[in-house]
Amino acid sequence: MLEDRLLLWKFKHGSRDAFRVIYEKYAGDMLTLAGNLLDDKVGAEDIVQDVFIKLVESIGTFRLTGSLKSYLATCVANRSRDCIRKRIRQRNAMAKQAEKTPAGTKSTVHMAICSEQLQKLSNAMTKLPYEQREAIALRIHGDLRFRQIAELQNVSTKTVQSRYRYGLNKLRSTLNGEVEK
Amino acid sequence: MRPSENIEKLIKKLRYKTSPETHDRVLGNVLQALDEKEKQKPGVFVPDTWRTIMKSKITRMAAAAVIIIAVFVGIHQFGGDGASVAFADIVEQLANARTMTYSVVTRTPVESMPTLRLQMAFKEPGYMRTTTVDGYINVIDWNQNKGITLWPPKQECIDFEASNYQHDTVQDPFIVVEKLRTLPDQADEALGEKEIDGRVLEGFRVTQGDMINTVWVDSQTTQLVRVEIEYTNSPGMNTIMTDFQFNAELDDSLFSLVPPEGFTRLEVQADVSTVTEQDLIAYLQMWSTWTKDGTFPPTFNPIELPKVTAEMIKQGKFGEGETSQQERHAEATLMYRGIMFVTQLPAESNWRYAGENVSYGDAETPIFWYQPTGSQTYHVIYGDLSVKDVAPEDLPK
Repeated sequence: MLEDRLLLWKFKHGSRDAFRVIYEKYAGDMLTLAGNLLDDKVGAEDIVQDVFIKLVESIGTFRLTGSLKSYLATCVANRSRDCIRKRIRQRNAMAKQAEKTPAGTKSTVHMAICSEQLQKLSNAMTKLPYEQREAIALRIHGDLRFRQIAELQNVSTKTVQSRYRYGLNKLRSTLNGEVEK
Repeated sequence: MRPSENIEKLIKKLRYKTSPETHDRVLGNVLQALDEKEKQKPGVFVPDTWRTIMKSKITRMAAAAVIIIAVFVGIHQFGGDGASVAFADIVEQLANARTMTYSVVTRTPVESMPTLRLQMAFKEPGYMRTTTVDGYINVIDWNQNKGITLWPPKQECIDFEASNYQHDTVQDPFIVVEKLRTLPDQADEALGEKEIDGRVLEGFRVTQGDMINTVWVDSQTTQLVRVEIEYTNSPGMNTIMTDFQFNAELDDSLFSLVPPEGFTRLEVQADVSTVTEQDLIAYLQMWSTWTKDGTFPPTFNPIELPKVTAEMIKQGKFGEGETSQQERHAEATLMYRGIMFVTQLPAESNWRYAGENVSYGDAETPIFWYQPTGSQTYHVIYGDLSVKDVAPEDLPK
């Protein structure tokens, strides 16, 4: 935490190296978070880039409230939501064309997945309702607390905990080969 | 999947990775944005005016923690070695006192070091309470090495404890009082009578080290009325103690270490035997991240620091930002350990702090130096927080 503050301070005072360290430290985590939220690697990279550019642009007035990772994760989550909303709008507008799209042409996510089990888990993640996926990704990859996720999703902490638990149960069931009802 | 298998651990393994080319491209794009920004705004900070510094939990905590340390370090109201109150009546008053209260005002000629006003109260068997005009209250149980700092206006408090703290006859306030009680007649100069505030007082002077202590006693009642301390090493600075009262009824509640109901509480502890130079460096580094200009603490003087910190807060010299309870605890502990390192240095270490107006990163300017026990050389900490061994003859003048 103190290290992040110091890095931000140095960055504010013009240290590009400090910014590089921040980027190296968190870009991977943010990419993973965005990737798990979007199921789209290119889109995830764009979001991470946007988030860091936003940080650069606002550094003069930026004040860290909480952890830097939580801040970045929240930014990633907000942008991912915007991105998904935009896609839904586009999808609805192109509904007829979408119906004609053959099954199996959905872009696959290029992840660093080595095992079959992880691939299965990744696919299962994409099938979760977005709120559940978001709760899981923000909790596990963004290190956000349930309270913080609740603020982001504008629901109660209990609701977030339920979403998280239901999501995990579904993933566990999928990996165990159970038929979802 | 086995029932016991942790799904969360598995999800954590779902990592996305970019190729080095993509990584460089994204970073390049961000740095390009940085270049564009720098062209538009060449490194100017936009001051935060949308809320006051005093709303910052960081700075509030900083100020409170500073007060803690100030008291724990030992406020040398009676001078470093204990002023030499020269006459038997005063010694008797002190010897028989179960409680003692007085006011203390410290002035410096330095504009940035504002006047400090404190109310002090001592009670057997080792309780001390200080109150500042800013509203800070500190209570220490010196026998337990425990204390509490209260800031009633904000309903915040910090509990602090130091284990393995070695009491020192120079640094511990209560031991200073103990010394006063057993003082031999050491006055080396009689000043005769003088009228002060409408009272005829008799003065005595004791010079010890760099401190000149002047004690004024009511000729009629032989009550201790006023103690003045001048510091030959700090011309223009002086401390004046007045309003002495002995054996006044002081309720135990004044010295309670239990925080009032509704106060936000922060606890800091330090095993003093484990603090090192690195703790001091970490504290200095942390302070530099609090100040907007990246400067180090203006002083280590326990009398000046709390007031100066409060002034800095008022002047908006600290950055904004709110922190979690966990962070505040970590920062308070770090600060506590850092200053504890200095307080535990023996007098013969000849430590000196010179970090005022020095910003973090200044590799040329020494900000702190001391002679470790048994060492022939001094450890000198520079503005970039590097440490070098320096021969005594090469120390900064």
